[in-house]
Amino acid sequence: MSAGAAAMRQGRVGRGAALARLALRIGGRYLAGSPRLLFASVERRGELRHDLALRSADEVAEELGSMKGVLMKLGQMASYIYDDMPQTFRASMSRLQQKAPPMTPALAASVVVEELGGPPERVFARWDPVPFAAASIGQVHRAITHDGRAVAVKVQYPGIARSITSDLRNVSLLRRLVGTAFPGLDTRSLVDELGERLQEEVDYAREAESQEMFARYYDGHPVIHVPHVVSELSTSRVLTGELVVGDSFEDVLGWDQHERDLAAETIYRFVFRSLYRLHAFNGDPHPGNYLFHGRGRVSFLDFGLTKRFSDADLDPLVDAVRFIVFEKDWEAFRASMERAGFLRAGAPVSTDVVVDRFGQFYGTVLQDAPMTITSAYASSIVRRFFDARGPLAPYSDVPRAYVVMQRINLGLYALLGSLNATANWRRIAEEIWPFRNGPPSTPTGEAEAGWEKGRLSTA
Amino acid sequence: MQSAATPRPPADPLEPLARAYGRSIPEHPADDGLYGPRSVVWRVNRDRSFPLAGIRSLMMQALHPLAMAGVAQHSTWREDPFGRLAATSSYLLVTTYGDTAAAHAAAARVRSVHRHVRGVDPETQLPYSAEDPDLLLWVHAAMVDSIVAVVRRYGRGLDGADADRYVEEMVKFAEIVGVPADQVPASVEALTSYIESVDLLRATPAARDAMGVVLDPPGLDAETRELWQELGQVAVGTLPPWAREMYGYSEPPAQVMGREPVRQLLGALDLAFEMQPGVIEARRRIELRMRA
Repeated sequence: MSAGAAAMRQGRVGRGAALARLALRIGGRYLAGSPRLLFASVERRGELRHDLALRSADEVAEELGSMKGVLMKLGQMASYIYDDMPQTFRASMSRLQQKAPPMTPALAASVVVEELGGPPERVFARWDPVPFAAASIGQVHRAITHDGRAVAVKVQYPGIARSITSDLRNVSLLRRLVGTAFPGLDTRSLVDELGERLQEEVDYAREAESQEMFARYYDGHPVIHVPHVVSELSTSRVLTGELVVGDSFEDVLGWDQHERDLAAETIYRFVFRSLYRLHAFNGDPHPGNYLFHGRGRVSFLDFGLTKRFSDADLDPLVDAVRFIVFEKDWEAFRASMERAGFLRAGAPVSTDVVVDRFGQFYGTVLQDAPMTITSAYASSIVRRFFDARGPLAPYSDVPRAYVVMQRINLGLYALLGSLNATANWRRIAEEIWPFRNGPPSTPTGEAEAGWEKGRLSTA
Repeated sequence: MQSAATPRPPADPLEPLARAYGRSIPEHPADDGLYGPRSVVWRVNRDRSFPLAGIRSLMMQALHPLAMAGVAQHSTWREDPFGRLAATSSYLLVTTYGDTAAAHAAAARVRSVHRHVRGVDPETQLPYSAEDPDLLLWVHAAMVDSIVAVVRRYGRGLDGADADRYVEEMVKFAEIVGVPADQVPASVEALTSYIESVDLLRATPAARDAMGVVLDPPGLDAETRELWQELGQVAVGTLPPWAREMYGYSEPPAQVMGREPVRQLLGALDLAFEMQPGVIEARRRIELRMRA
C-alpha cells in the first residue's frame, strides 16, 4: 500500500467520534510495520507433506486430474448444502483434502517462470521456495517484492486448469457420480452451478478481480480487512496479494466469549454487507479463509468462489425479508419464495408450513433481542431446511442462482454456532438492509457507520 | 443355481479390496522383495488403471476351458466375487511390495491350495490340475498381457522398452507358483506369440456365466452398477478381436474408448478407493520407498 493510500485510510478513520474511540482502542492495524518482520512471522504449516511433493505436471495429473480434483471439490461444496451426507463420507472428504501434497520448489518455480517471465528469486526480492500453506488447486509462498511489500503468492498446480475444464465437460459422468454420492439430491442444478463456480475458481485472474473489488470496497473499514492484490505480479495461474498474519479460527475458539462475539459480529457484518451493499458473496465459508486479529478485526482471504448477484436475483430475497420480518404478510412471503424459485408455485401445502419451514432462515432476525447461536441451533437449521422427508421437500429446491449463497449461509451458521456467538443480530441486519438503513447498534456498528460516511464523501 | 444361503454382498464392494490393500503393503519390510523399488513392476503394479486390467485379465484367463473349470468347480468366487478379487489383488500386492519372505510365503499358500484343485472339465472332457505348469502359464500370460495392454493405453507412461522390462521382471511372478522360468515369455513379443499359440481357447458356458457376474456383479446400487458396466464395456474394447468374438461381444463405440473419458472414469473409481481407510497411507508407504 502506498503512503498516500495509508494517509487516506487514516483520514477516514479520523471521522466520527465513536470511531475515533474505537480506533484508539484497536491501536495498530493488521499489517506489521516491517515487511521483513511480517515475512518472518508467517509460519509454515506442519501438515504439508514435503516428502511426497509433486515433482512434475504428470504427478499433479495423477493426484488431482481425471475427475479426482473436481470430485473432491464438489464433495467439499456439497458437504455444506447436503446435511444427510454420511459421517464417514465427510471424514473421507476431509482426509482427502489434507492429502494433496505440495509441489516441489522446482515445479512451483517453473510455474512462476511461465507466468511472470522469470525465476521467482529474480521476480521477487525475497522468495521462500517452501510453501507455507496449501491453497485451492495450488499452494502459497511468502515473498517480498522489489518495492518492499510482504506478499503471499498463490501458485497453481501446472496443468490443473486444463484438466478441470476437461473433467467438467464430462457432465454426464459427473451427474452420475454425484448422484451416487448424494442419492436423492437434485444433482442437475447442483453440478451445473458448482461446476460453473469451480471453472471460475481455476482462473486466478478472475479471483484477483473479485478480491480487489472486495479490498477496495472495504478499504479503511474498522474491522473488516481484505488484502489488496498486487496486479502486476498476478496472472491466471499466479495470484500475489498482501501478506496477512493473524490467528486461526481454532485459536479463536480458545478466546473469551466477548472476543468470540466480536469476531462473530464482524463475520456476520461482512456476509450481510457484501450481499446487500456490494451484491457479492464470497463463497467459501471455510474457517481457514479467515484470520483473526482480536477485538473483532478479521481478515478475509480467498475469493475464488465469488458470486455476484443481479438486482433480479436479490429482489425476491429483499421482499421476503420485508414480508416475514416486518409486514408479517405470510401470503406475500410465500409468493416471494415462489418468485425466487425456492418453492414451486401452487404446491399443495399450507402457507403456515411454508412460513414455518422457510422462516427458519430468518430465525436470527425475527426478534429484536440478543440471541445466542449455538451449534445445536446451527445444525437444526441446516437439517430442517434440507429435510428430504419434510412436507415441503417435494416442492422445494435450491435455484441455481442461490446455490453458492445457500452454502455460505449454512457455513456461516456453522461458524457462528461454533463460536456460540451472542448479538442482537436483527439490529445489525437493520443497519445493513438497504431498505432500513438502521442506526448503529454496537460499537463496531458505530465505527462502521463512520467508515461508511467517509466512503460516501470520498466516492 | 442361486442358493438361499447366498450371503448378502458387502455394502461397499471396495471395502474388502481396500482392506486387502492396506494389509498387503508392509510398514516395516525386511528387504525390498522380489523386484525392488527401482523396478518397472513396482511402478506398473500400482497404476490407477488396474481395475480395468483386472477385468480384462479375468476375461482372458476364462477363455482357457481348463483354467475356467478349475475356478468354476473349486472356488467360492460366486458367493463373494469382491472378496475373491480382493484375495487375488492381495496376492499381487504382497508379491510385489512385500519382502522376500512374505512373497514366498504367499506363493507357498497358493501352491498348497492348487494341490487340491483337480478334476475333469465337463466341456472338453479333459482332466486338469491347477499345478499344471501349462495352465499356470496361461493364467500368468493372460494377466501380464492385460496389464501391459491396459496400462499402455490408459495408465501412466509405459513405453515399449519398459513394457518389455515389465514382462521380463514378471517372469519371477510365474516362477514362484511353479512355472519353470525358461518357459515364461520374457518380452512383449514373446508374450503375444505365446498367447496366439494356445489352441484350446474357447468361451465355455462356465466362462460366459462367470463373465456375466464380472460384468454385472451383484449388490451394486443403480448408479455404481452403471459405472461398473461402463468399465466392463471398456475392458471388452481392450480385448483382442478374436477374444471378443469367442464371447460374442461387439466392439464398443470409439467414443467409449477414448483415453480422457476412460481415465475420468478410472479417476473417479480411484478416488472412491482412496476414501477407504488405510489406502492413502499404504500408497504413501510405496511412494516413499520408491523415492528413497
